[in-house]
Amino acid sequence: MPAPASRILQVDADAFYVQVARLTDPPGAGKAELLLVGGSPTGRGVVTSASYPARRFGVRSGMPMAQALRLCPDAMVVGVPRGACSERSRAIVRVLERFTPVVEPASIDEMYLDLSGTETLYRQEPLDATARRIRAAVWQDTEIAVSIGGGTNRLVAKLAAGRAKPHQTPAADGVVVVPPGEEAAFLATFDLADIPGVGPRFQDRLAALGLRTVADALPHDRDALRRWLGATAGDWLYHRIRGVGATAVQHRAHAKSLSRDETFARDLDDDDALRRELLRLSDRAAADLRRHRYRVRTITVRIRDADFRDRRASRTLARPVSADRAIADVALALLARLRKARRVPARLLSVGLSQLVTTDDVEQTVLFPDAVADHLESDRDRRLSKALDDLRERFGRDAVDRGG
Amino acid sequence: MKFTITREKLQEGLVAVAASVPTKTTLPVLSNILVEAVPDGIRLSGTDLDIAVSTLVPAEVDAEGAVTLPAKKLVEIVRELPSAAVRLTAASEQRVSLECGRSRFKLLGIPRDEFPSFPPVRFENAWTAASGDLQKLIGHVAFAASTEESRPILNGVLWELRKDQMRMVATNGHRLARMDVPASGGRQAADFIVPPKALEQIRRLFGAADEIQIAKSENHLGFRSGQTYVYTRLIEGPYPNYEQVIPRDNDRVAVVDKQALAATLRRVGVVASDQTHRVRLAFSGGTLKFTVSTPDLGEANDEMAASYDGEPLEIGFNANYLLEILKFMPTDDVRITMKAPERAATLEPSGWDDPASYLCLVMPLRLVD
Repeated sequence: MPAPASRILQVDADAFYVQVARLTDPPGAGKAELLLVGGSPTGRGVVTSASYPARRFGVRSGMPMAQALRLCPDAMVVGVPRGACSERSRAIVRVLERFTPVVEPASIDEMYLDLSGTETLYRQEPLDATARRIRAAVWQDTEIAVSIGGGTNRLVAKLAAGRAKPHQTPAADGVVVVPPGEEAAFLATFDLADIPGVGPRFQDRLAALGLRTVADALPHDRDALRRWLGATAGDWLYHRIRGVGATAVQHRAHAKSLSRDETFARDLDDDDALRRELLRLSDRAAADLRRHRYRVRTITVRIRDADFRDRRASRTLARPVSADRAIADVALALLARLRKARRVPARLLSVGLSQLVTTDDVEQTVLFPDAVADHLESDRDRRLSKALDDLRERFGRDAVDRGG
Repeated sequence: MKFTITREKLQEGLVAVAASVPTKTTLPVLSNILVEAVPDGIRLSGTDLDIAVSTLVPAEVDAEGAVTLPAKKLVEIVRELPSAAVRLTAASEQRVSLECGRSRFKLLGIPRDEFPSFPPVRFENAWTAASGDLQKLIGHVAFAASTEESRPILNGVLWELRKDQMRMVATNGHRLARMDVPASGGRQAADFIVPPKALEQIRRLFGAADEIQIAKSENHLGFRSGQTYVYTRLIEGPYPNYEQVIPRDNDRVAVVDKQALAATLRRVGVVASDQTHRVRLAFSGGTLKFTVSTPDLGEANDEMAASYDGEPLEIGFNANYLLEILKFMPTDDVRITMKAPERAATLEPSGWDDPASYLCLVMPLRLVD
């Protein structure tokens, strides 16, 4: 008997930050049709999320707030209600967990569910009927409107969720489920740029080959794609455009990565100033890391140049670290590399930590702590970071900081 | 080149050198064995550029010459040949034929000029060591060398030659093995850092009763006994100061049965974390208790008798490190010394009737708070 097809759903909250901002402030943001969430106190930040009516003015997430206000001058701007957002997000996950134990939060407003093997439990209810019940339950319990996409894998589910959004597709009602066997036909209706993982640079390469839509790429066999794009990217694209995406949905209670970023009040071009900002971000990220009892193996520094070009550099360590100094040292080296490659004013810096490990809180002690080349942190570093954490715990986050 | 050799002698020579031939290489000639017909026999040589092995086997040589042949295929062919005389003729590297009984093979070789030359080690001023002593040192110490690439120096075994003794030390930064054997010979004091792969060849190729000649060039060592040579590149130092990390004030001492300890560690280790292999040991009075607790997996508890009269002590270890060390301990009982939960512990043979002295050290696993 062939294994029954996987049943994957993606739940995507519609303009999540906008919805939460309205719920938090019903008389103000709750009433503003043109609402922009994001920004910074100085008005230099970027739009985290814009209400659908505001989007009609051309406002997009990630756009500088000033530019958004030029496009849509009547919009109301509110800060991101961070606490409330995490709270609602967790509430959504709790609702989803009533339907299946396998819920993977992919971000604050996107969750994957694996309902494979629940056919009997739900008495052979079609997947889209289950999705509708889930959507209603989320609305009932959290007052957040979500769109749900479904299919036999994550890729199809994610694309379907996009199609399900009422504000983006006319006649959409919040749920789109692609039946097993129809993945390729469904995919054929998209542009290549819609496929997650096809970024701007990859789009340029594809465009140079005359490939813009999935339908453009479908007639080419695997060998041709491999020849044009290299074996890895060729294989990858060959499968994606046929709706094949193998990554399993994983139940994950933990974060996969964490990051800290800062959009500067004005563009920074001074290396020392950038280093100071980076240290601040790296210390904060490191403190977050330790608070969640993680250690990190991959450290990424991202810089957004004044012309909005995003560049990043990362390093993966042989052994995980958690001390401020270890993470800062790596981050500074990465920043130096990025600045060497292109020295223009920067508008944003970010420090990202990924490949987080708990290693059940065990650590191998070493014989030659000072001599180990990849041993970036010493006992002393760890004790120092711990002391800082304790101080901040008692006296608040700003109790201690690096000297200028 | 033309010679006749018994299948057995040919196989003996090939087995000796084949282990030095790399399985993967970017330089095709390194996959080959250099076959040289010289007046008193056939010299077979292989190398991976780090180490080289060369040996002479008796053969009836009709015409001298040399060619290189693919090691893997040559070994496979000779293994399957009947026990009879093997006749090898080479007009050029393109036309090498091998005949044995009614079997005929034609092989394609690579010209000998492409084969790397051996390090210029001169044996005129060689010193000597008893092969048995070297085998003992290598057999007890080499296992502890690091296999990670992050610190090349720890990939080697430190070999210290002194007037009246030889010592080997190896460590991966978490555990360490050290052995001394008394040795006469009045040699000059010298320290070398040798790749374990080369030491393994020395242990394998030379008989326990052999006297080995050892000579050094600028950055290579050569070992020779009879007509067999092993050359190795040396790893450049300095080796970390290991003396400094060997504890001298470990005052908590336990003596335990080696087999029982290993069996218990293997048993409770089943539910230890795949990453850390953490086992918690609690020494108290006459018992040694074992606890393993791994989130998302489970727990195990066990205990065994131990002779221990120090203050109770709880200490965590990577079970695999302990098990590995126990494999090399030469006595039925092992003596474990400790100081504190985060300090190095040592393991030594207990009641070993041998002029050598042997010590292993293992760093504990710490609980991060």
